[in-house]
Amino acid sequence: MDAHGSITVDPITTSVVQGALENIAVEVGYKLMRMSYSSIIRESEDFGAALVDAEGRGLAESAQSTPLQSGPIPGYVKHMLRILAARGDTVRPGDVIMHNDPYGGASHGPDVAFIVPVFHQGELVGFSGTTAHHLDIGALTPGSCGIVDAIDAYAEGLQFRAIKVYDRGVRNDAVWQILRDNIRASDLVVGDMEAQVAASRIGAERMAALVARVGLPAFRAACAALMDHAERLMRRAIAKLPEGSWRAETFIDGYLDDPDPSRRELPLVATVTKQGDGLIVDLTGTAPQVPDRPINMPLTGTVDVAIWLTIRSVLLDTAIVGHVPVNEGLTRPITIVAPKGCLANPIYPAPTIARFCPGNQLADTVMKALAQAVPGQVSAGIGNLKVIAFSGLQGEKHWVHMEIFEGSYGGRADADGMDAVDTLYANTRNNPIEDIETHLPLRVERYELREGKVGAGRFRGGLGSIRSFRFLTDGGASVEGEGHRFRPWGFDGGEDGVPARLEILRADGSAQALPSKVPHMAVKAGDTFVCEGPAGGGYGSPVERDPAAVAADVADGLMSSDAARETFRVALAPDGTPDVDGTRRLRSG
Amino acid sequence: MRLVGVDVGGTFTDLILADTETGAVTIHKVSTTPDDPSVGVAEGVGGLCDLAGVPRQSVDHVLHGTTIATNAALEHRGAECGLITTRGYRDILHIGRHQRPQHYSIRQAIPWQATPLVKRRHRHVVTERLVPPKGEVLIPLAEEEVRQAAQALREAGIVSIAIGFLFSYLNPAHERRARELVLEEHPDAFVTISSDVAPQFREFERFTTAAMNAFVGIKVREYVARLDRRLGETGLRSDLHIMASNGGVVTPATVAELPVFTMLSGPAAGVLGGAWAGALSGHRNLITFDVGGTSADIGIVTDGTFSEATARDTWIAGFPLLVPMIDIHTIGAGGGSIARVDEGGAFRVGPHSAGARPGPAAYGRGGTEPTVTDAHVVLGRLVPANFLGGAMSLDVPASEQVIDGLAARLGLGREEAALGVLTIINASMANAIRSRTVQKGIDPRGYALVAFGGAGPLHGAEVARELGIGEVIVPPHPGITSAMGLLTSDIKVDALRTAFQASTALDLPRIAADFAAMEAEIGARFAADGIEPAATRTARAADMRYAGQGYELRVPFDGGPVDAALVARAIARFHAAHRAEYGHAFPDATVEIVNLRVTGIGVRPKPANPSPRGGQPLAAATVRTAEVVFAVDGAPQRLATSVLAREALPLGERISGPAIVIQTDTTTVVPPGATFVADAGGNLIITL
Repeated sequence: MDAHGSITVDPITTSVVQGALENIAVEVGYKLMRMSYSSIIRESEDFGAALVDAEGRGLAESAQSTPLQSGPIPGYVKHMLRILAARGDTVRPGDVIMHNDPYGGASHGPDVAFIVPVFHQGELVGFSGTTAHHLDIGALTPGSCGIVDAIDAYAEGLQFRAIKVYDRGVRNDAVWQILRDNIRASDLVVGDMEAQVAASRIGAERMAALVARVGLPAFRAACAALMDHAERLMRRAIAKLPEGSWRAETFIDGYLDDPDPSRRELPLVATVTKQGDGLIVDLTGTAPQVPDRPINMPLTGTVDVAIWLTIRSVLLDTAIVGHVPVNEGLTRPITIVAPKGCLANPIYPAPTIARFCPGNQLADTVMKALAQAVPGQVSAGIGNLKVIAFSGLQGEKHWVHMEIFEGSYGGRADADGMDAVDTLYANTRNNPIEDIETHLPLRVERYELREGKVGAGRFRGGLGSIRSFRFLTDGGASVEGEGHRFRPWGFDGGEDGVPARLEILRADGSAQALPSKVPHMAVKAGDTFVCEGPAGGGYGSPVERDPAAVAADVADGLMSSDAARETFRVALAPDGTPDVDGTRRLRSG
Repeated sequence: MRLVGVDVGGTFTDLILADTETGAVTIHKVSTTPDDPSVGVAEGVGGLCDLAGVPRQSVDHVLHGTTIATNAALEHRGAECGLITTRGYRDILHIGRHQRPQHYSIRQAIPWQATPLVKRRHRHVVTERLVPPKGEVLIPLAEEEVRQAAQALREAGIVSIAIGFLFSYLNPAHERRARELVLEEHPDAFVTISSDVAPQFREFERFTTAAMNAFVGIKVREYVARLDRRLGETGLRSDLHIMASNGGVVTPATVAELPVFTMLSGPAAGVLGGAWAGALSGHRNLITFDVGGTSADIGIVTDGTFSEATARDTWIAGFPLLVPMIDIHTIGAGGGSIARVDEGGAFRVGPHSAGARPGPAAYGRGGTEPTVTDAHVVLGRLVPANFLGGAMSLDVPASEQVIDGLAARLGLGREEAALGVLTIINASMANAIRSRTVQKGIDPRGYALVAFGGAGPLHGAEVARELGIGEVIVPPHPGITSAMGLLTSDIKVDALRTAFQASTALDLPRIAADFAAMEAEIGARFAADGIEPAATRTARAADMRYAGQGYELRVPFDGGPVDAALVARAIARFHAAHRAEYGHAFPDATVEIVNLRVTGIGVRPKPANPSPRGGQPLAAATVRTAEVVFAVDGAPQRLATSVLAREALPLGERISGPAIVIQTDTTTVVPPGATFVADAGGNLIITL
């Protein structure tokens, strides 16, 4: 029972407080995005903003931002409070606290949070926090993606455990100097951190004003009520599920070029069990942790967010049910079980910096389990993502650019999969070609749909993309991705999708296929990375696909008329429209 | 001089005629003819002239706000379009920014994928490539391929064609040449080039803007031609101007070429009308608050000038558009907004609306869900006998029934529930205003709220109170403020050049040349439109950011010769604007000038200010005293409230609330503790 549950509040005040909290979170996110420097934050929107209560329970999150950033903020705050308490310290007005401990709530090291406590008449009432993916955090090679050969947490870069960068309003200059001296491209990174501090402070100011406006008892009661409300929404959605327990397994590539079998082709297992109006998600069966490679997933900050996100996207799909408030109540009905020492609950100091793609695959695994319970509400298997960190030197200074390469969704019960988008817990944005080429020694030579690679189905999977980056000067790159080995799962008779590929075309004319994880490698001017994104799985049997939709895909150049005939058993007339009789003959055969 | 303003809404077409010499104003309202709004407009204008007793050929100017382009986009009913783009980038329009519009949804539809503006089969690629920093030609344009693409589109029956090449904002030569080639092969084509529509970086957004122009273009062009013809047939000899989203009017020729510029035509006129009303009472800092049945439009006017949206905040029908627009924030909150208890037991109001049909339960057209209007009825704030001047009755028992149903679900009394509906909707409206004021460094307490539209004056005072705003202005004819706004508009032309110049390495001659070229361009445009040079002026501005940022802020640039001091003043304004907007500035950081802009204004004749009649003693203006429910210390209380007829109010006499002021097109609520006065400018001024 909630400590403040005894105080009652009317539904009108609750609704007003809810709207005000969301409005503040949106403002914080908006300001951070607009003030920040590095494209990973301002263009890709790989940042988060959220408001939490005094105990670290999430109250509202920014509507921009990516779910994997806002979702973990409550976890950052709870762990930060524990660390401070263990140290005999506490939070005071004017503090700004930096935290990035992946074994303490952080999603991974580069996602650094700046947290500002909110006080009302001297009493702690909550926190305003932002997180952002920083370009570099002082790891062994440039950038903060593609650090795929870090052997432990220390190799991943700087670790901050509840560090006060402002203590009672006084700037801790030593910490800021350490940041400048130990991070590449530090002008950008420190600028982004300052933007985070400014944005978090605005959120704290607004939240304090809100508390003053409605009064502390009413505010607390409204917060309790709005969390209870979200909890009820989730419980009611769960209660509608059929009784049962649903197990699903998928695999990640791991290190496909590694001779050690314990580092490649690793299973992820999720068993989702309905218990009344709650769900238990048990990850038993998932591969053991890889002790010296950073594809382990922090339980708090990555695994929990992946699970929550998938469940709410399937059971409380906003396209179907409309706006759903995001707060801790949504997560209360869900219990997560992850055996200690597995990929999804690693033991310190196992490295975790490259957990992004495994975590998204875990989200897909949970969806695959739910597909058995609510087949009409899922997509077939998603195509996973890839991040490449491009870097180089300009004089004595580094330039670093991280680009997230999209995946695609599987087909759905009533629609084709979404083409060439970020999937599940990631929802970042690409960088405009016209921005990249203006500011970096890179040329984007191609950006199109990947033709002819389709997860066939009654509703086909989304198509992948093809994107090429050429280096105009010498530099380096590292790659962190998934989905080269395993095809996104087809569903209900749909065919599996198509894996991703990555190739480097050297300036000398040679070409080399690359695995989904590549530690930092030297790149020469003229070398080109060609990324072929995965195509999502098909939904339903391809021979049930509407012939007009098949004809449209052929007309659009997405597949050949041979594929129409062979895979979908649709015959086309010379003008490209479906040949009704021919199709009937093919399909009855 | 006689001016006519025509604003076409979903249900009604509002018309106003003003004689700039006599000051006479005539207003008229006719039903909108949705299949072809030009029919209703032409009939309405004819009727308006008859009503005013003026010959039709004596009208000098017709100013028109249209929703043709907006509706074509919202209903996705436009032309089948083609696109010619750079080889290698066929699917920029389809992939977009690779982001899903909704985070937490598997079953969502992405507008540019589910309902594309240009189908892939009609997206043709041609060999060519430009590169930064200056748009140098890396690969020349393969002219034969353009011809082939044009032929293929012609054969496919495509008339509306967009051309979008990478980096065309730096060098439009390839797009322009491609347009010539397309027109040679396909003389009937309607060709849009992206460097004309939105000469700025971000290819997805620029190509989408060009494609949207192609999508709505033919419809808009045909509509304007039809309207011109019908007005002529009605006997008018006046010239026609159309309201653009940037808050200025443009000629039919411009609209025919760049119809995408009219996307927010209607709401833009509302902001101008609000600004005009505020000026009548000497106010230059205003929040315009236009509330109808389904939505509330909010605009900000500072020192008499409305704010413009930044390029990245403008979306229509889920598509991003890079066109100059007044910054209008629209939320789904209006008289028809539905109140409900959701599955989790929370009390919500809006964004769903009962619309005009079935409408609120009170309309007696079969509405069964409780709406904001029903809450007003239950609380006694809408007076059945006087609703819409008595033209429509209100079904009070129906309102009571639906509000009682809501109250039962919430465990509240009828009046508590009805007050709750208003508290929640007013809080949403106040949040929307905060997002455009407090969140941008503007203190709303220094502003007056102009409340108009059918429902604005019902909510204005309570919303203002929530924001600490001291004064609410209710214009003379709140229901036709947008039409009035049209009459106050000037001709406005925007020009833009992408600069990408760092403050540490400025190319002053290039800045000077860009400004000069844009000023010449605008001068030529005005000359072509026959506007006297004496009636024109230009203003410079620039979009700037700290080098490395992705979002720009617009700041004014002084006129005159471009030198280091002039640029330094603009950069200083940028630091100040950044501090105001975000609460923080980085004074030592390098500033990047991203775009240079020039706006040209062609000043048009304006209507005279109204001179309200003297009014009558308060007793004569009092229709009756009614019991109206207000929240007093959070609890509902029935208070004896005067119901007053607006047209009979004594001028300049301060009257205490609570009061309900009725007039044909709206009802104004003055809560207890507030006072109001009918001022000499023709406004009602409520003081909180």
